[in-house]
Amino acid sequence: MVENHGDAVLIRAACGGDHDAAAALFRRHWQPAWRVAYGMTGRRALADDIAADAFERAFAALNRFDRRRPFAPWLHRIVVNRALDLLRAERRLVGGEPGPEPAAGLELDGGDLELLEAVRSLPLQRRAVIILRYGVGMAPTEIARVLDVPIGTVNSRLARALEQLRGDYEVSDAERT
Amino acid sequence: MPSGPESRLRELLAQLPTATKAVEDRALAAALAALPPAGARRRRPLRTAFLVAAGVVLLLAVSAGALAAAGALHVSLGGSERSARQPAPIVPRLIVPRGARGIAAVVDGRLWFTSRSGLRIEGLPVESAALSPHALYVAAGIGDSLVVMAPNGTRAWSHPAGGRVVGIAWAPSGLRIAYVVQTTSGGVQLRTIEGDGDHDRVLDAAVRPVPPSWRADALAVAYVGAGGHPVVYDFGRRAHHVVAGDRLGETTRITFAPQGRALAIGSAGRLWISGVGRVPARGGDFSPDSIAGLAWIGDEIAVGLNGPSKRAAVQLVGLAKNGATVRGKRLDVSGEITALDARGGRVVLALRRHGLPTRLVASTAPDRPARTVLLDVGAGSTVGELAVR
Repeated sequence: MVENHGDAVLIRAACGGDHDAAAALFRRHWQPAWRVAYGMTGRRALADDIAADAFERAFAALNRFDRRRPFAPWLHRIVVNRALDLLRAERRLVGGEPGPEPAAGLELDGGDLELLEAVRSLPLQRRAVIILRYGVGMAPTEIARVLDVPIGTVNSRLARALEQLRGDYEVSDAERT
Repeated sequence: MPSGPESRLRELLAQLPTATKAVEDRALAAALAALPPAGARRRRPLRTAFLVAAGVVLLLAVSAGALAAAGALHVSLGGSERSARQPAPIVPRLIVPRGARGIAAVVDGRLWFTSRSGLRIEGLPVESAALSPHALYVAAGIGDSLVVMAPNGTRAWSHPAGGRVVGIAWAPSGLRIAYVVQTTSGGVQLRTIEGDGDHDRVLDAAVRPVPPSWRADALAVAYVGAGGHPVVYDFGRRAHHVVAGDRLGETTRITFAPQGRALAIGSAGRLWISGVGRVPARGGDFSPDSIAGLAWIGDEIAVGLNGPSKRAAVQLVGLAKNGATVRGKRLDVSGEITALDARGGRVVLALRRHGLPTRLVASTAPDRPARTVLLDVGAGSTVGELAVR
């Protein structure tokens, strides 16, 4: 069963033309990659496009990938960069980021919805570290590799993002009471 | 956040939705198609083996030539007479017609493209597609994005269009792309974007979903306005100009001449030419035939016509000095024309044939029957768009 093999084995087999191994690698990483894209954009259609594009780029360059390194951070780096590119281009074109679509299928209470809105209104770089840290569960060192920034930058972005979220949440909480 | 912001965020983000199965399947297929060929890193040993094999073949050929000269061996080149008489074989891969650099066809919502630079795309789901002036790049509407693919097959850039891109035209200068978007809110817009994916802007917020066309100097673009009339937007004057007014009826296709300012405008059964001489617009009536495609071929226009009793033809139409249309040769074809383009003195046709594969064919000259088969696809398939550069 190819599903039980590690990423490095699957990548070697995929580079040798084994589509089952490539498909297993895809399935293992597809949903986390899509969630990163969705977390960044808040829009399904854009997340579909970004995640699919990231996999195409990653698979096209698979024979150049250093198999001694973990696959997920490399893939997430492509996803995050693609999302940042698209969102920045969109801001440049339309003078802002379109509002996220309603989170269909989510049963969230008022506080959680506001927290989600607060995450989506974070500046892009801060949003990226929050999604990678709490949405995907990456350690700050991994996030530093993904974003190609020093670990100190990741920690400061995390701290500022949490501070901003805390502030937004407290403001909205006070407005409710 | 009063308590445990990190754990609260973890719980919240864990509830985010997931991608649908259909999206996952499409992405998997695209990712597998993007995999590099097996053993791509082992090029040198293969090259050595190839050179050795080529040397052996050369030696055998020299020996065979010597034997043939001595009368001991019969050598023939090319196909036998028997194979020449057999029916034309199915052509499963798209071929670039002579005199062209590349060709793209959208068949049942899937893109087929091949170019002399080596880029080949087969069956990519798209809404619409267009080629750059030298057929190096392909612009396609994919999902809600306008995507441009580079000569090496990768995406050069992708731009969120805010809806389905239903018509694309690349300016002859290569510097700008005009595209028509059916927005998610239900409107249809004409937009332009720079060739590098920057500076997207709306030219007209209410148009018809018909592919636009650029003037040869790339300073004007023609499109079909919301009222069904042809409209020309002049970038120099920053002005919209409605052509032909109410006389034409519902415009279904428009195409600027490859040189000059002449604009061919087609409705269901009528052809109008604008921008020639001092007359405003002149035309010809082909009804009851319906116009299935328009393409400039030098100074003439090739008009694809489908008749009421399943007769189809390509009618060549010339222009008099005063702009009036002059009918030239008419070439009957078997099947229904669904798309038509021209390049390098050749007309390329998409023919849907009853019970037979849908076929792309090219003529050897404007006034000769189309004989070169460029592609065969499944019977009943429809070629919605065709572009030859």
